[in-house]
Amino acid sequence: MSTVFSEEQRDCLQELINVAMGLASDKLARFLNTFVHLQVPAIELVNSSQIPAQFEAQYSSTEAALVSQGFLGNDGLRGEAIVLYQLDNAHRIAALLGYDTDSASELEMLTDISSILTTTFLNGLAGQIDNSLSYSAPRVLSSRQTNVTEALIETACHWELALKVDISYQLIDHSFNCDMLLLIPGEAVLNIQQILDRIVEEY
Amino acid sequence: MSEDWLTGPILEQLNSGVLVVDEQFQLVYLNTFLQRHSCVQLSDVKGKSLFKVFTDVPEAWLRRKFASVLELQSPSFSSWEQRQYVIKLPHLRPVTSSSQFMAQNCTMLPLSDPAGRRYVCLLIEDATDAFVYQQHLQITMQKLEHNNRIDGLTKALNRRYWEEQLKLEVQRAQRYQQPLSLLLFDLDKFKQLNDQYGHLGGDSVLIELTARVRALLRDTDWFGRYGGEEFGIVLTNTALAGAMDVAERICLAVDSTAVTFHEQSIKTSVSIGVAQLDATGERAHEVLIGQADIALYNAKRDGRNRVVPFSAGETEFLLKAN
Repeated sequence: MSTVFSEEQRDCLQELINVAMGLASDKLARFLNTFVHLQVPAIELVNSSQIPAQFEAQYSSTEAALVSQGFLGNDGLRGEAIVLYQLDNAHRIAALLGYDTDSASELEMLTDISSILTTTFLNGLAGQIDNSLSYSAPRVLSSRQTNVTEALIETACHWELALKVDISYQLIDHSFNCDMLLLIPGEAVLNIQQILDRIVEEY
Repeated sequence: MSEDWLTGPILEQLNSGVLVVDEQFQLVYLNTFLQRHSCVQLSDVKGKSLFKVFTDVPEAWLRRKFASVLELQSPSFSSWEQRQYVIKLPHLRPVTSSSQFMAQNCTMLPLSDPAGRRYVCLLIEDATDAFVYQQHLQITMQKLEHNNRIDGLTKALNRRYWEEQLKLEVQRAQRYQQPLSLLLFDLDKFKQLNDQYGHLGGDSVLIELTARVRALLRDTDWFGRYGGEEFGIVLTNTALAGAMDVAERICLAVDSTAVTFHEQSIKTSVSIGVAQLDATGERAHEVLIGQADIALYNAKRDGRNRVVPFSAGETEFLLKAN
C-alpha cells in the first residue's frame, strides 16, 4: 500500500482544496455579514507520526484548543478533521457569531466554531467530487486543562496519513488563524487516490 | 420513492426525536417519539412557532444554530455534556436513574423540499444512560480523591496530602505576609500503651484522640497524621501566642479525660512542639517542621504532657551539638 501521492494527484488535491476554501469563505462571509479573505491554503501531506512535533511550538501553550470531528462519505472517503486554534482567536470569532461569553459554555462555543469551519470546507470539497459527507458531533480533545501535543499524539497514532491545511481567515477588523488537519486512515488514502486519478483522467 | 412504506413506520418507531421546522421556525413535523414525550399532537401544533409550543427551549441560542444550518447548509450539533437538553423531556428510566430530564445529543440538519423550500431537521438522541454513568463516575472519583487524602484509621489527613497543604499554606502566608504556626504532637509513651492494652487498645486511643483534637480546631486548620502516633496541625493566620493557646487546650483535652477501651480506662497525654513561620524561601516549610520537631523533642525531654514553643537560641544550641 502506497501512501505517497504522485505530483499529479497532489496538484489535483491542492486545486480541489483551493476551490473548497473559496466556497467556504464565500458562505462564511454571507453568514457573518463581513468580508472574509482567505489566503490560499498551504497543504502538506505528512506522516501522522510527525504531527505532534510540527504543532508543538505553535500550540504548546495551554491557551490552545483542539477539536475533532469525524466525516464519512461514499466511495470509502472517510477521516477525521481536527481544528487547532488559539483560544483568544476563538473569542474573536465567537463575538462575530453572536455569542456573549456567559450564554454558552466555552466548550460549546469551541465545538460550534470548529464545526462551522470544518463542515463548510468539507462540504465544498465533497461537492466537487460528486460526493456528500455526513459528520459526527464535534468533540473537544483538549483545551486549557490538557496538553495539545499529548492529545495529538494520542489521536494521530491511529492514522496513517495526515493532510495538513493551514488556514488563515482574514475578516474585516479581525483575523483568525487556525490549522486544520485531515487525518485519513490507510484504506481511505487509497480510495482518495483513486478519486483523484479519476478526476485527472477526466480533464 | 419506493421505500416510503419502510421509512414512514421506521421514523414513527424510532427511539429518537425528529422535529422539522421551516425557515420561520414553524413546526412542520414531529415524530411519535417527540409527540409522546412532550404530550403534544402534531395536528394541534403544526404551523405553530416552535418557541410557542416548546416554551422552555433556549430561543436565542437555537435561532443562532438554525440560522447557521440554513445559511451554511451544513449540520450543527449540541452535546449533553455542554447542554444537558435542548427540549426539556422526561426520559424512559424515571425510576432507576437519578436525573430528572432526558440528556440529549442533538443534530441539526439542513433539508429542502422538491420546491426548494428550506427546512431544519432537529434530531434528538437520548443520552441519559451516558449522563447517568458520567454522574456515577464523578461521584466515584470524588470518593477516591477523598480517600486518597485521608488516613484510614484516624480520618485525619494522611501525611502526603497534609504536607502538600502545609507547603501551600506556607507559600500563601509568605505572599500575604500573614502569620502561620505549626503544632507537632506525639502521644506520650505510646509503645508502653500498646504493650499493655494491645494494638487495638492503642488504635482506639488514636481514634478518640483525633476526634477530641478536631473538635478544638477551625475549618481552616489542617490536621494530619504525620507518623504512627505523631500528628501535625497547620494553623493558618495564627501567631505563636494563639498557637500556644490551641496547643494548651489540646494538651488539657487529652489529659483531663481517660479513654475507655473494653471497659478499661486508659490514661494518656500528649507532648506538643509549637513553631511560628519565620523562614523564607523554597524550603521554608521544611525549616518550620524542623523547628516544631525540636520544640516537640524539648517537650518530651522536659517531662512530657506539656507544650513547648520553639525558640531561636535552641536551634543554635542543637546545631552546635550536632
